[in-house]
Amino acid sequence: MDLEEIRERLGNMKAWVKRSEAWWLENPDLDVERMARLMVETGARLTTVTASRVPEGEFRMIYHWDLQGQLLNFITVTRQSALPSIARICPAADWIEREIHDYFAVNFGGRELPTLVLSGQDPPGIFSWNFEWKGKEGGHA
Amino acid sequence: MSFTIPIGPYHPALEEPCKVQVTCEGEIVQDVTLSVKYNFRGVEWLAERRNYHQAIALVERVCGICSNVHTLTFCNAVERLAGLTVPERAQYLRTIVVELERLTSHALWAGIAAEVMGFQTLFMICFALRELLMDLLETISGNRVHYGMNCIGGVTRDLVDPEVVRTTSRRVRQTVTDQLIPLFATDKTVRARCVGIGQLTKEQALAWGAVGPTARASGLTEDIRRTSPYAAYARVEFKVPVETSGDVFARVVVRLFEMVESCRIVEQALDQMPPGPIHGPNFVEVPPGEAVARSEAPRGELFYYVASDGTDIPSRVKIRTPSFVNMPTVRLMMLQANLADVPPINASIDPCYSCISR
Repeated sequence: MDLEEIRERLGNMKAWVKRSEAWWLENPDLDVERMARLMVETGARLTTVTASRVPEGEFRMIYHWDLQGQLLNFITVTRQSALPSIARICPAADWIEREIHDYFAVNFGGRELPTLVLSGQDPPGIFSWNFEWKGKEGGHA
Repeated sequence: MSFTIPIGPYHPALEEPCKVQVTCEGEIVQDVTLSVKYNFRGVEWLAERRNYHQAIALVERVCGICSNVHTLTFCNAVERLAGLTVPERAQYLRTIVVELERLTSHALWAGIAAEVMGFQTLFMICFALRELLMDLLETISGNRVHYGMNCIGGVTRDLVDPEVVRTTSRRVRQTVTDQLIPLFATDKTVRARCVGIGQLTKEQALAWGAVGPTARASGLTEDIRRTSPYAAYARVEFKVPVETSGDVFARVVVRLFEMVESCRIVEQALDQMPPGPIHGPNFVEVPPGEAVARSEAPRGELFYYVASDGTDIPSRVKIRTPSFVNMPTVRLMMLQANLADVPPINASIDPCYSCISR
């Protein structure tokens, strides 16, 4: 399956962009479960997912996949700080989603999210806590 | 009757913290719970509060074994963002040091694997080899662990005496070929502890995103040095060892043959390395944008994502280490295994807990 076929099967996507020796495809309304099923079908390997805060209070999410040595990056945005989990489709997402939940409190629907790097009593979202001047309300200083 | 055994947070083989909780029926493992939270330092968060040069020193401390490949990958990502071209000599120097680091890491792992199997003589051979490599890296960089070799746009030090590197590389290759490979491949104790133990199928390795020697021991062929060459890898010849049995023994074999290939790469790089500058300007402007970089670390693919908002501090640094994706496969390897095989299975992926929780 080539890149254009992947783009067409995902529907309503902009054109692929090549930069920093990788391919990038962006859609704020990306159906991540459909993307995961398609990529698993092509034999791609989930490399990781990058979450970054955006000004609107949401998170820009990049799903990085390796397809026969090519790095494909699917960019989307969380909806009310959540996206559906792809861990049932692609087991490699299990720890990745748990880590993002620990760091940013992004929720992944359809699964439990036990802490991975935080201890059990710590609330998720440690990278969102404001360490500079006061602690998160009800959380740690 | 089932019973649960907590192993760790002190590791049964390595001196890094991790908890492996196994539930057994008799001596057969029925379930495994992994806990890897003991080394969390928030390195990504910290890197987003330091300038690019300070962040190099920080990411070098993600890991105490493969520290150099972290700085190399971070610098690669920043160089892509800034549109920098690294001088050719610096690319060869990066290749040499990162392969010496792979040799050091694999020698450490082989020694620990030998100790876990109760083979003290083999352990001592491996650690003597590692000492030789660490002395060489100290000769090159002034440091035995964190070499401080990479900077944005090149490397910080030139190679003063290439012949020392060549001589050591040949000696390492001879020891691996004449002693380590025959001992690991034929010794009854090693075979009894490794062959058919802790299997991971090719399908499982792909589904769980395994990388590096762990994946290549299960029949996956990807090596970032070959599929997305960086530094001088496109200009040197090397084989990518692949095994298909997916057991502990296959992971042993892949790493040992990788050591031979690393020596070949080092020797070729020394032969080909041209004279010239080793880095560009000391200070560079990083325009707004984002970039990714991948390297083949000793344990597999290392991934960095760096985003810039045009200031001298990265707005986002994402680090995905190979152990982070290899560690969950340990659970699959341990299911239905004998309890006594839990330590060698765990050691067989060469886990780095500092890298996992960062």
